[in-house]
Amino acid sequence: MTAIHADIDALTGLRAALTRFRYAQREVTDRGADAIEGTRASLEAKASHWRARLEQGRAELAACRDRAAAEQDAPVDCSGYARAVSEAGERLEHIRLWQQRIDQQVIEFQGAASRFKNLLETDLPRAEEQLAAIIASLHAARRVQPSGS
Amino acid sequence: MSAGYRLPARPDRDGDQQLRLLEDAWEKAVPHWQDDVARQFGTHHWVPLRDESRLYLESLRAMMDLLDAAERDTE
Repeated sequence: MTAIHADIDALTGLRAALTRFRYAQREVTDRGADAIEGTRASLEAKASHWRARLEQGRAELAACRDRAAAEQDAPVDCSGYARAVSEAGERLEHIRLWQQRIDQQVIEFQGAASRFKNLLETDLPRAEEQLAAIIASLHAARRVQPSGS
Repeated sequence: MSAGYRLPARPDRDGDQQLRLLEDAWEKAVPHWQDDVARQFGTHHWVPLRDESRLYLESLRAMMDLLDAAERDTE
């Protein structure tokens, strides 16, 4: 294409860039959604782990206290079990707080994500079509055959 | 316990890069396209696209930062 068709070249380049952008950002939005689901699943697995540890710790602590009640003469130390229960409870609560923070942020994020997806699926193809029409009219005005036609 | 979910390469960074490429293409087109149609295209298509993309990518960055922090802090 010669320099007198620099506008056609520039618009053709812009149109191609818009198309690449649409495909690439569609992948970006999918990856963003996957990352959210992946982290949510990961946190739920961690919560499940600490929930099980908490239940086990509580059972062990209860058994220890039963032994301590039965042993009138020799003292039974249950503090290790009590610490384990406390730690499991704290870890579980910590994970729950992160889950809540993520849930709140996702609500805010989904508004922007939904608008952007709509833009990619609806507005952007329209912009590409309009550019294609403009390029075709420039070609026609100069009696130049569009490349590929 | 499992090592936790490993976040893949940050999509917000790739999204930023794609937006920069598109902005470059726009900047290259503008000097050659200065008529009323260009101005209309800029107002009705380009500006909303650029602004909405920036908003989304900022929101995605905040989301990814939070996911990273959650994974690290619950190891």
